[in-house]
Amino acid sequence: MQKVLYGILAAAMALSVNAQTANTVKIGWFGPETGDSALWGQAELNTVQMMAADYNAKGGITIGGKKYKVQIIAYDDKGDSVEAVNVAKRLISQDKVVAIVGAQGSGEAIPVATIVDAAKIPLVASTATNPKVTVSDSGAVNSYVFRACFTDPYQGKVAAYFASQKLGKRKAAIFMTIDDPYSTGLSQYFKENFEKAGGKVVSEVSYTSGEKDFRAPLTKIKAANPDVIFIPAYYNDVALAAKQARDLGIKQLLLGGDGWPSDNLISLAGTALEGCLFINHLDMDGLAAKPMRDEYRAKYHKNAELNSYMVHDALLMVVDAMQRANSINSVAIQKALLTCNIQGITGHIKIGPNHDPVGKEAWLIKLVGPNMKFQEKFATAN
Amino acid sequence: MDQFLQQLVNGLSIGSIYALMAVGYSLVYSIMNFSNFAHGSVIMLGAYFGFYALTALGVPFSVAFFIAACGTAAVAVILERLAYKPLRDRRAPFLYFIITAMGASIFIDNSVIATIGPTPKTFPSELLPSFLQGMPLEWGALNVGRIDIAIFVVAAICLGLLMLFIDLTKLGKAIQATAYNMKASALMGINPNFVIILVFAIGGGLAGVAGVLYGMKYQVFPQMSSITLKSFIAAVFGGLGSLPGALLGSVLLALIETFVSGYLSTQYRDLFAFIILITMLVVRPSGIMGRDAEDKA
Repeated sequence: MQKVLYGILAAAMALSVNAQTANTVKIGWFGPETGDSALWGQAELNTVQMMAADYNAKGGITIGGKKYKVQIIAYDDKGDSVEAVNVAKRLISQDKVVAIVGAQGSGEAIPVATIVDAAKIPLVASTATNPKVTVSDSGAVNSYVFRACFTDPYQGKVAAYFASQKLGKRKAAIFMTIDDPYSTGLSQYFKENFEKAGGKVVSEVSYTSGEKDFRAPLTKIKAANPDVIFIPAYYNDVALAAKQARDLGIKQLLLGGDGWPSDNLISLAGTALEGCLFINHLDMDGLAAKPMRDEYRAKYHKNAELNSYMVHDALLMVVDAMQRANSINSVAIQKALLTCNIQGITGHIKIGPNHDPVGKEAWLIKLVGPNMKFQEKFATAN
Repeated sequence: MDQFLQQLVNGLSIGSIYALMAVGYSLVYSIMNFSNFAHGSVIMLGAYFGFYALTALGVPFSVAFFIAACGTAAVAVILERLAYKPLRDRRAPFLYFIITAMGASIFIDNSVIATIGPTPKTFPSELLPSFLQGMPLEWGALNVGRIDIAIFVVAAICLGLLMLFIDLTKLGKAIQATAYNMKASALMGINPNFVIILVFAIGGGLAGVAGVLYGMKYQVFPQMSSITLKSFIAAVFGGLGSLPGALLGSVLLALIETFVSGYLSTQYRDLFAFIILITMLVVRPSGIMGRDAEDKA
């Protein structure tokens, strides 16, 4: 009898605790606040905090007729997959978040995918473009994992199409980061599509992340004499590789993916990237991005990064799902995310069967002096 | 053939940076018999000193170089006084020195991450002297970056002067004597404390030069110190405690690395580097030109 009484008491206390926090909805974020990609992690964190502050300034978001304040709980994953797993577990079991955004790198998002799936907490990745983020090795879709960005097969296809059809390049070389699934994946999709279009990949060389001297592998590329060099890497390595390539007398056009855009790219690379091209998720200097670009600069006194816009759309997807589900229950949010169909800053986001946005446009950007100039945009079938 | 020559140049340019860094490890080891793992962090600080002297103070390039070398020499000496001297006074086992050195290294690296931040920086090319700006030099299919030539020349001058200093001057003789036997040389009137400070100052100064050169060639970033691990391997390879050994080890290691990544694949590069290290330690623990076998810790 006493035990039952205690049970009832405990239940009542638990209820009252729930009642106290009922007007706050906790959303988790993780990403690299330190380490090599800290610039992008910090840009994401700034953005989600700015958005939460905006929601809360209006009294919160309305879900099922009730106002909820948004609380962001953020952890640093140091750009490390083990750390990412740890912080994701912490967000789920300790902080009891209803959904998670962030997970910008595919290397971190892939191991976390199985964890959120098991815990039934939806994760909306910002820039994790590897297909294995949402579809596991066995081919099954990870029910609770979604993303705001297009995928690497799509990006690789666009880059290959552009290099072969628009620029008329026949011989390509690929310079990739061997221990990064983003880089190896994108290389593979570029190669497949480039060769399908009649081109030939004449040289494929790689480096290990953290290396700074690329002269030996770049010399190999030079000897193969390609028409264009595809570099699916992150901005810092791209800047180093571009400088060293020019030092070795490699004058060919360099082409890249969404690892390139960064406020620091041009200052790090100097003139080595003049005229080079990359695929992006949006035109960061365009009209659609303007309100957020201005707000971000006013608040943080620096420019928003690509990740700012991507995580903005990821959080927007979660908020939209909560509102349509009329619930802050994680399972209900997942159901609503399946039918996500919203206009984000980075384009129209309609979630397809693999939990990727379908038909999202890829934007081609050219580096001209200190500017990133929008050239044209593509939308092909996924 | 073109590719072979180009890879040779690539290797030599990395080798000369390794050599500047390796000398610092070797000098300290020859006197104190332990590997100063904080050396890499001092090199990193040198790159930042040079970068800020050039960009924030706006001094000419040669002055920035000088400031960086003096700054790191001071840091190395302060490190010795604060971290190693108390251990020496207590005659602590050499293991304590290594742990202290690693601790100091982590402390310095993280202080920079916490204050300046982790984002890499590039030496603005317009602030470099005019002979370092512009296109690389070309001989047929061979391209040599201007900074690479500068690095080679500066490294050769610094290391040449250092060898002359050690072989020909009284202070150099004092270092040699202390390296040979600290107690005996102390009995002969050589102040071991002074020699130790001198060695840290020289190693630190070279670290500053190496840091600025490295920063110019690549970038300036807080994790730089981990890359100097390679120069430590080079120092062990050539024989810790021997200056010509450090030089030879650096150039050989850099050439092997470059040819492995150029002709095989980059993935095998570190594999080969560490196989060489381990083989050397097993077959000839004193390295190519080292003295008798001792703890290479």
